[in-house]
Amino acid sequence: MQGGLERATGEKMVLSFGPQHPATHGTLRIVLELDGESVLKATPHAGYLHTGFEKLGEHLDYNQYIVVTDRMNYLSPLSNNFGYVLAVEQLLDIEVPKRCQYIRILMAELSRLADHLLWLGTAALDLGAFSVFLYSFREREKLYSIFEKTTGARLTTSYTRIGGVLRDLYAGCEEDVREFVNNFPKALKETHTLLTRNRIWMDRTKGVGSISADDAINYGLTGPCLRAAGVAHDIRKAEPYSSYDEVTFDVPVGTNGDAYDRYLVRMEEMIQSCGIVTQVLDNMPDGPVNVENNKITMPNKSDAYGHIEGLIHHFKVVMDGHGVETPKGEHYCATESPNGELGFYIVSDGSGTAYRIRIRPPSFLHFQALPHMLEGGMVSDTVAVLGSLNVIAGELDR
Amino acid sequence: MDKYIRNIYRGVYTVLVGMRVTIRQFFEPNVTHQYPYEHDFEKKRNVREIPKGYRGQLYNRIEDCIGCKKCELICPVDCITITGTKLPKGEQLWDSMNVVHLKDGREVIGIVDGDDKKIKSADSITLTNITSRQGSQEVIDRLEPSGVENRTQTFSGDEVSRVVTRNPVVFYLDQFDIDMSLCMYCGLCTEVCPTECLTMKDTLAGVEYSKFDRSDLIFKFDKQEMYNKGNTEEADAAD
Repeated sequence: MQGGLERATGEKMVLSFGPQHPATHGTLRIVLELDGESVLKATPHAGYLHTGFEKLGEHLDYNQYIVVTDRMNYLSPLSNNFGYVLAVEQLLDIEVPKRCQYIRILMAELSRLADHLLWLGTAALDLGAFSVFLYSFREREKLYSIFEKTTGARLTTSYTRIGGVLRDLYAGCEEDVREFVNNFPKALKETHTLLTRNRIWMDRTKGVGSISADDAINYGLTGPCLRAAGVAHDIRKAEPYSSYDEVTFDVPVGTNGDAYDRYLVRMEEMIQSCGIVTQVLDNMPDGPVNVENNKITMPNKSDAYGHIEGLIHHFKVVMDGHGVETPKGEHYCATESPNGELGFYIVSDGSGTAYRIRIRPPSFLHFQALPHMLEGGMVSDTVAVLGSLNVIAGELDR
Repeated sequence: MDKYIRNIYRGVYTVLVGMRVTIRQFFEPNVTHQYPYEHDFEKKRNVREIPKGYRGQLYNRIEDCIGCKKCELICPVDCITITGTKLPKGEQLWDSMNVVHLKDGREVIGIVDGDDKKIKSADSITLTNITSRQGSQEVIDRLEPSGVENRTQTFSGDEVSRVVTRNPVVFYLDQFDIDMSLCMYCGLCTEVCPTECLTMKDTLAGVEYSKFDRSDLIFKFDKQEMYNKGNTEEADAAD
């Protein structure tokens, strides 16, 4: 009776977790070698959602590529837009107006909230807490209607442009965001009541998939997963980009690096993001949102209709060889996306299209640490660990 | 044993704490709505409406399009196909034409008898070569001469609000196809459009236009339908 059938016969069972599994959040696959219910070996397989996003960067010009960045991490497209244009702008060596920086930070933090909310909902759903899923989606829906009004689309936002943003915030945006931010902690408290001290939730997540600080650094974990392991590293604090040095916030840090700590870190990050959003709204400067350089941004319509130069620039900025052209060279720019360090490495040959775009997605490195977290655990923990890492397949395979 | 019972107690207790949150939701209004059944959702209290500036279906006001191909150029997925025809030098689609705008809103196209620059408001106007179609359908008329009626009509000065001269056309659009099954709704094309004729519908019609056949999603600028405003009412109903 002891040990079950597999242990008695010494036979290992191979379980293919995914590519079609409700808990995989996209198309990814883990091959588990099981001895009874304990995981002996886990092999993650990437590539099921390969879309060739990096290759596309060699064909699309710099503004066109923004559209592709939406689809990478489809939970927080605004952060991706932000990270990409920041890389191009640093390569171009231009600085966008203050208002634009603030708008970008505002939207990036709101998308961080949306990302964490979706993570919270699905991670809880995987472990059987259906109500949390509904409540977090209710809150996320409010965010999405703000995105919708600001950018014109719910998911595929494409909000940023090289040297600016698509358009200024709509009238009444500030009230909408303030109302959300004021009510949000109350809604989050509901989730705390449902989960944080819940016996089942604690049993399923505490001590599950834990990773030490050293291992986390060695595996290249970033973002909430690294901070849950006890390393207080946040790119927004460590190397402030855009106007992040003008806002104050705390970096929540866990101790054990297990799924429960990742949950707590993300929950606290949402509160911190709310604080950032409030500060940004308080200090939102006036002024233009686009760089006044007609080689980079499109002149406004009144210029195009009123002046011949405006009209010429309006046409030229679209044409190959006359629009955005980066100087020869290469540049790596990392931003703190909701999942961790999102880096864009752009090699430019001096034309209007990048020679090579390489993306350093946080999920890819989180996925490689999965065997370390799974091996020695139970098969049911796979779902909990995978859920807590928030591996986004679109970003993983790009 | 003591620990075992305490564990059960704690498990049940924390679930009950959570249940309190859940049960409170019973008395709050529904957030969800049954989409296909509550189709007319813009009127609902708790439901989003389609905001201004939403990026929906692409729509091109072909009358204003100058065929500059900027949208075709910037489209990341090449979902727009434009072909224009430029006539060889010296050729033109038609001679200069006049459009008489009547006070009841109708437009009549033809050639004004006499010098159109010298028309005064009180004069009665005689139009020759009147065509039955209106709007910018001259292209079609030229391509299909059947539209020309060759009728002559005289309007009194009270009827006419203004007379406009239309210059001869040496360039016209042959094709403006938008493949909405490819479109990524990024809105780059609407941003670059110099005449603002290419827009994205921010109405319910711009969101709900699903078709059973993918080929129905290729929206063509059909010269026959788009320009045949002789039956304006039908065209409006279809839109």
